Amino acid sequence: MNSTGNRHQAMDQGHRERINSYMSRSCFAFGIYSVKFFLLLLAIHLSLFTSSDAKIYIDITSPSAKKVPIAIYELPGSAGREISEVIKGDLVFTGLFTYVDSASYVEQISQPFNPGNWTPLGVEAVVKGTVQEGANLTVSITLYDTSEGKAVLSKEYQTDKSLVRQLGHTISNDIYNLFTGSAGIFRTRILFVGERGGGKDLYLVDWDGQRARKLGLKSSILLSPHWSREGTKAVYSSERGRQWGIYLLDFLKMTEKRIFVSKGTNMAGDFFPKENAFIFSSTKDGTPALFSYNIDTGTMKKLTFTHGIDVSPSVSPDGKSIAFVSDRGGTPQIYIMRSDGSEVRRVTFEGSYNTSPCWSPSGDRIAFSGRRGKNQIFTIKPDGSELMQLTDSGNNEDPSFSPDGRYITFMSDRDRTKSIYIMRANGESQRRITPKDMRAFGPRWSPN
Amino acid sequence: MKRIWVLFALLAFISFGCQKAATKPEAVQPAPEKEEKESVQKPPEKVTEQKIASGKESVESQEKAAGAMEEKEGIFKDIHFDFDKYDIKNEDKSALKAIASWMTKNPGAKLSVEGHCDDRGTNEYNLALGDRRAKAVKDYLLSLGVSSSKIETVSYGEEKPLCTEETEDCWAKNRRAHFVVLGKVSK
Repeated sequence: MNSTGNRHQAMDQGHRERINSYMSRSCFAFGIYSVKFFLLLLAIHLSLFTSSDAKIYIDITSPSAKKVPIAIYELPGSAGREISEVIKGDLVFTGLFTYVDSASYVEQISQPFNPGNWTPLGVEAVVKGTVQEGANLTVSITLYDTSEGKAVLSKEYQTDKSLVRQLGHTISNDIYNLFTGSAGIFRTRILFVGERGGGKDLYLVDWDGQRARKLGLKSSILLSPHWSREGTKAVYSSERGRQWGIYLLDFLKMTEKRIFVSKGTNMAGDFFPKENAFIFSSTKDGTPALFSYNIDTGTMKKLTFTHGIDVSPSVSPDGKSIAFVSDRGGTPQIYIMRSDGSEVRRVTFEGSYNTSPCWSPSGDRIAFSGRRGKNQIFTIKPDGSELMQLTDSGNNEDPSFSPDGRYITFMSDRDRTKSIYIMRANGESQRRITPKDMRAFGPRWSPN
Repeated sequence: MKRIWVLFALLAFISFGCQKAATKPEAVQPAPEKEEKESVQKPPEKVTEQKIASGKESVESQEKAAGAMEEKEGIFKDIHFDFDKYDIKNEDKSALKAIASWMTKNPGAKLSVEGHCDDRGTNEYNLALGDRRAKAVKDYLLSLGVSSSKIETVSYGEEKPLCTEETEDCWAKNRRAHFVVLGKVSK
């Protein structure tokens, strides 16, 4: 990995190219910390070069960020065409790019890049590439910055032919990362409960609704699954033989194991960030209460002790707080407590039925489902301020954030059948990603 | 020229067609140290997507099959609840008394009380509510002298609706406690 020395050297020399390529590579590996670092780096960089450099970078924290007009050529062949469509779909969905239609391109894909062909069209970035289809698929991608008049990304990708879409998403991630300094979510997936002709099953689908695959569980009744933080496991609840058990699914081994069962209703919640532990609600002692459960030791700890219903716990990203639903005040509302069960406080006061809380990955907001006639998705700050309604048609439930916090997946019955939808975290661009002939609910966005 | 190893974390378990996930370090050809501002022709970085060894198509359960019990439905009628409520209505108390006396006459029988809800709430809250409904019925039966060892409760929330229309009639039908007799039934 590059050292700090390299970074400074790069800045001193003022070679944007190198910072770019460094950014695109290391954000994958370093995660949030480095993203922050690079935003800082970027700020310094821009201040040094504002006069000569085009501002193709996007400040994704600014709601008024200008969209980048991007030209994306249709790559040759069927695989090439699919890759171009994937990149286009990914980038446009972010709301940070506008796709410039290929009918207006003056330059042929085979001709050398000439910024003069693009700046009159207002195009700021151009994606070109070549495809070689042999035993494997080899795709070379070059991204041009029209105002700098040069390539800012040049990369060769290789894959098995069956992974065309993933390859497209990887390219999208690289482009997105170059423009924003943040990791893209284009390789993430959504886990949900689906029902087609009777029995329920867990399904895993790419975030854009493609490549849905059924996992083949035996259950007929299943509840919303919860990913482990590293994205290799999930816990979920299932009723079998008149008992609600909590099951652990290991994606690497593709095995399922019952890890907890008792009399009453047991419903799995989120994993904690550090230990191999998760939170769940159980009525084993009578009323629905919250417990933490350590998978390695098989030990549990009771966290709530009210006479009412405490259910649907969601663990904050830092693991220190738990948002949950309680009817201790007479109606179901969102509450927050520390993860040891102390310092309980109510978060929602508007509406008489607020359920299904879910933390944003940065912990700055909680999404939930609140009834206003029908159930709608809202977000609110953990201190109870800035309530924001995101949906207004049909019933909308089970919100779950994408790992970058920019999108939310949820269930909606606005088209009659319960289906999985995605939208931007401000409510824009809502769209269904599961087919109408499948009942689907309980979506959870993968952490990576 | 410097070699940089990039851990391509997103490669970890790419697809369900290929479950055996392995996060492999990817050799990446870095851009050259000296970059000229004008240079467009630079050797491209290389990224290789690896097809990960194919695994199982579906999940293998490590759970032992549970022994089935004889179940008999329809001996008792459902009782119903108000929206978001779990208290027993006066009109249902005589039906519960009949169940209690039947239970004392059939000592070999066990009763499973199922709590159900309409689908207007959210799944998990409804499961908790269904649990409260089933337990409210159980508590009432205990108060009439039935032994706790003879009654099980289970909640199905909104998972097993009787009726799927969006009407008040239909919702009311779904907000119910349902009774299933388990084990031997004497004639």
